[in-house]
Amino acid sequence: MSISAYYDAIAQCNKCGFCQVACPIFRSTGNESGVARGRLAILRALIEDRLQWSRELEDPLYDCLLCGACTSNCFPAIPTSDLLIKARSEYLDTIGRKSIHRLLFDKILPYPKRLHLAARAVALGKNSGVSKLAGALGLLRIFGHDFARAERIIDRFPVHPLRKSFRPGVYQGQGRNLRVAYFVGCGVDTISQSAGEATLSLLMRFSSAVHILDNNCCGLPAWSYGDIAASRKLAERNLPLMDGDRFDVIVTDCSSCAAFIKKYPLLFTDNDSCTERARDVASKTRDVSEWLAAEAVPSSAALKGKRVTFHDPCHASRGQKIVKQPRDLLKQIPGAEFVEMPEADWCCGGAGAYALSHFDLAMQVLDRKMENLGKTKADILVTTCPACITQLSFGVRRHGMDVKVKHLTEVIQS
Amino acid sequence: MSRVIPRSLIKNLRLIVGERYVAESRTAAELYSYDGSLAKGAPGAVVFPGDTAETAAVIREATRAGVPFVPRGFGTNLSGGTVLPYSGLTVCLTRLNRILGIYPDRRTAVVQPGVTNLELQNALAPLGFFYAPDPASQRVATLGGNIGENSGGPRCLRYGVTTNHVIGIQAILADGQILCLGSSAYDHPGYDLRGLVIGSEGTLAVVTEVTVRILPIPEKVITQLAVYNDIADAARSVAGIIAAGIVPSTLEMMDARIIQAVEDSYTCGYPRDAAAVLIIEVEGPAVGLEEQARSIRAICMANNCREIRDAATAAERNRLWEGRRGAFGAVARLAPNYLVNDCTVPRTLLPDALAEVARIVKAHGFIHGNVFHAGDGNLHPLLLFDSRDADQLKRVHEAGWEIMKACVALGGTISGEHGIGREKMEAMRLVFSDDDIDAQRSLKNAFDPSNVVNPGKIFPDTSKPFAFKDQAAWSGPDDMLTPAERIMAEQVNQALSTGQALVPGGSGSLIGFGNLSTGSEQPLNTDTLSAVIDLDPSNQYITVGAGMPLGDIQKALFPHNQWIPLRPSFDLLRRTIGGITATAACGPERFFYGAPRELLLGLRFIDGRGRLINAGGKVVKNVAGFDVTRLLAGSAGTLGLITRVTMRTATCPQRCAAISAIGTLDACASLATSVLRSRLGAVFAAAVPETVGTLWRLHLGFEGFEETVNSQLSQAGALFSGSGFGSERSENYDVLCGPFAGIFKAIAVHPYILRVGTPPDHVVKAAQIITGQWPQIKVLVDFGCGRIVAGIDQMGGDFWKELVRIIHELEGHVVLEKAPDEFKRFNDVFGVPLPEWNLMHRVKAAIDPKNLFAPGRMPGRV
Repeated sequence: MSISAYYDAIAQCNKCGFCQVACPIFRSTGNESGVARGRLAILRALIEDRLQWSRELEDPLYDCLLCGACTSNCFPAIPTSDLLIKARSEYLDTIGRKSIHRLLFDKILPYPKRLHLAARAVALGKNSGVSKLAGALGLLRIFGHDFARAERIIDRFPVHPLRKSFRPGVYQGQGRNLRVAYFVGCGVDTISQSAGEATLSLLMRFSSAVHILDNNCCGLPAWSYGDIAASRKLAERNLPLMDGDRFDVIVTDCSSCAAFIKKYPLLFTDNDSCTERARDVASKTRDVSEWLAAEAVPSSAALKGKRVTFHDPCHASRGQKIVKQPRDLLKQIPGAEFVEMPEADWCCGGAGAYALSHFDLAMQVLDRKMENLGKTKADILVTTCPACITQLSFGVRRHGMDVKVKHLTEVIQS
Repeated sequence: MSRVIPRSLIKNLRLIVGERYVAESRTAAELYSYDGSLAKGAPGAVVFPGDTAETAAVIREATRAGVPFVPRGFGTNLSGGTVLPYSGLTVCLTRLNRILGIYPDRRTAVVQPGVTNLELQNALAPLGFFYAPDPASQRVATLGGNIGENSGGPRCLRYGVTTNHVIGIQAILADGQILCLGSSAYDHPGYDLRGLVIGSEGTLAVVTEVTVRILPIPEKVITQLAVYNDIADAARSVAGIIAAGIVPSTLEMMDARIIQAVEDSYTCGYPRDAAAVLIIEVEGPAVGLEEQARSIRAICMANNCREIRDAATAAERNRLWEGRRGAFGAVARLAPNYLVNDCTVPRTLLPDALAEVARIVKAHGFIHGNVFHAGDGNLHPLLLFDSRDADQLKRVHEAGWEIMKACVALGGTISGEHGIGREKMEAMRLVFSDDDIDAQRSLKNAFDPSNVVNPGKIFPDTSKPFAFKDQAAWSGPDDMLTPAERIMAEQVNQALSTGQALVPGGSGSLIGFGNLSTGSEQPLNTDTLSAVIDLDPSNQYITVGAGMPLGDIQKALFPHNQWIPLRPSFDLLRRTIGGITATAACGPERFFYGAPRELLLGLRFIDGRGRLINAGGKVVKNVAGFDVTRLLAGSAGTLGLITRVTMRTATCPQRCAAISAIGTLDACASLATSVLRSRLGAVFAAAVPETVGTLWRLHLGFEGFEETVNSQLSQAGALFSGSGFGSERSENYDVLCGPFAGIFKAIAVHPYILRVGTPPDHVVKAAQIITGQWPQIKVLVDFGCGRIVAGIDQMGGDFWKELVRIIHELEGHVVLEKAPDEFKRFNDVFGVPLPEWNLMHRVKAAIDPKNLFAPGRMPGRV
């Protein structure tokens, strides 16, 4: 659907400019092209024919983190991120998709095995120092022109995915009578595997059966790119794995996946056959921190004398309104001292694969985060999104800080 | 839209700032074609310099290419000031976003213009300080923009606006010259060009660095929310509070429509069924504050207030303010666009103004909400509409125009803080005569002869007849001319025809001020201009003829329990208000109450073309046109003859008392510094030598409510006892004369009077140098203002030059307020020539082209 369908929402921006203070990108660049007010002005100009669709729009449309902080600071709460997705979609329809994205969204992400293969190729290339191999396969270019520099963000690429050690299927648990589906996000599967292992172990301790799903990508990357058809296709492949009454709850330890699965119903129109299933799945999906808090899971870890702080993934705090739960859980850890980080809910600049395509901007946003982290004097920085973990770990290395970056499940399940 | 930026300029800009910091795409033009107002205009290119040097180079290149440019920060301007009416260059200063330093001992901070007001507040708060101006948009309003608009904010009711708190700026002129106007040393010799640039909406110079005054966070704040069933009752309460002599730090009003829009956005705690609420805050020393809050409560209840409650916690207070600050954004829930007017009216007329606004809005078929600085009488009706509808857009502008006319008819002005920009240019003619506007335009020309610095703003086209002349409430100066003013104007015009130079003079204390005159000037005495023209105690201002002695003015105010909080050092009550204004005369209490420039609301003067020029008005917030009032303050009669002055008045303090004790100069300085950066609220801290030895007596003054002063005295006493001083003593002093009349009298008898200004932390060094040279000197060292005033018997030209040099090295300046003619023949009494004096002479030539007024007196002549 053309963005002109959203003219009223776009015209609601009265240019008060309050989004500028909340936008991590604007705070880094000071450029009107990088803030909600400016992006909405572009959309309005497109509708009112002062601007035409052209490649000139790529930066203003795509250098948004989609963190949603503008909407939280916007009195009429204009959903700029969502409007931008529509605009990106129209941009792709008008200007065209890049072939590399077609490869990623159409040929790799829908097939876990192909993703694993690709990750393995990248891993082998990186870990052996022959990135050229992966480069030759064209895989590094998936994420954009900055990837060559951004590649160092990921410290080490595991050779095997998590689901090689923990094959999809049902695992017996020791907890109460509860059937849990574990949705394995791409980030946990291919990079943040220790988080996945901790999550699995918690799920098994506190439920009777854990089903590790053979899911593919949740569809968020394609959605963010504006390729709504591709994201719908990814969601359609996931729905049959999760719907019906096979499970009491669907848990994922990736806040981005959780937020997006909760959004599945929006992907389909009302009369679509998938709509009902999407609603059913969305209603059962829980971010792992929600689930842990609801189950009142006690911490088995003791972090004596450690200062702990929390970074809110955008898809947790604004995407799912989850703010209190992870903090409450951290405060209960014996011996640990919880300190609140200034601007804890500011985007870290990871934003999925954003850092891989907009390296400089992502680093400016990350530097601000690290400055705030420094103020906490924390020993451990906790979060609930693998993209954040990757980005924050890089930040800590880049700034030579002595801080461990962990997933919430990793600090609770030691 | 034509886009005609020469390629060579783009190339040069890229060389200066780097490829990525010049944007010229159609998208960039669209993105910089708007600001927070309804005005539109796309630039040909946008450039993002990274520092002062780059900014200066960019400006020089643009001027050389003849391309007009507009400086811009976050682009939240509400009058179209940051968009270009035609193709040109947008100079975006968002990369100049660093706080360069915070200096608690100087009570200053130095920041770049791209820092937001709130960022500065957040950096100051942990150190126990704040920056007083706090525009509601402080989260996104940059300091550069604050300076451009001379921004106010809720708190300016008590503390004044931006011009009262920005003490120095680094400004870049059209030719790329970088000038420092003002600094952390007060009262630079020469015109107050800083005061002129502040509020000039980026049309005179581009500011790249700002030195602001910072204040200690008050000991206590009480925030009250008063709820009304009728908006007129709320307006009457506001007038009642001010008339009772209480000065809240803020007094904000919101009406039903705003309350609901804000509450829809998030819960701030305003009752949804109220017709209006007031947010009232008092702050200061804890003792006596609750009493003020109680008096306010009583006044509100007497005006049919439904309920008044205190914010119990900091969180509750923040919520109340979040709602107020977000109100402009919140109305976006009701309609896509708003037109906001920021007219100011005398606060006693608020009920009438609100009724007029409601009538006009309704007649034009719109709805509106009111959210505004009620204590200042500064309205902000938000007229709601949809700019996609061309007819609505046309009608809303018509309604805005009608509102401005109505407010001017009530004695107000067209803009209290948002500026004229593009949107109110024609309305300038509602408040200024063509001569007034022409005088302002000539100032613009003095700064920017090629008219490239943000042109097409502020000034209406006065060559066209003013369509609404007959409808304007105020039809030019002639009908309000007093007979004495008419005679004065005739005298000036006569002198103009004969080329006879003139020296304005009141009580005579100005005669002999400044450099040596050419000798043939004819004195122009203001004796006849000595009447009270308008005294309005409820609105707290007085308009008087310039020849009226301060003592007579105070006498006229006394029955109303009010005064002008000024105690000029010399001749005190005998000085005329014109002379005080022209010489910027004040004493150590300036630290607390400000200099004459802080108290001036408006004035009228006869310029060098023999025209009567009006500047300012009578409302406390007024940003219509250039701040010519500030320019005249301290111009020493060289720009024209001031004929009348409007000043704000204050409630007389219940008690004035100073506590003093004896110690070394260093001990005095160190105690004064800690008192002045504390929350104690001293009115002054100044020391004079004790008759014996090398000891000094430090005086700390306190003025205000009896109960508060008592507590301040005892706290100050404890500080003295703990700091190795001799036994302290407290004495009451006269409110009008202050405690220093005696020492100033002793200083005045000497043939030389020396005035030194330095940053407060250097004043001791300067004092040591001076007392080292003249051990038995009559001197006063004013720690609050960083000022030394001394009476001297002998001064050699060589030592003068040496002293000037040394003080200059201390980042200060030195002026001889009085010196024998013989000395003046060979020396400039204003010290070393400052780079901005060239510009000052251009300003003089713009207002007084024939050099009619006090020729020779100006700095930089010898």
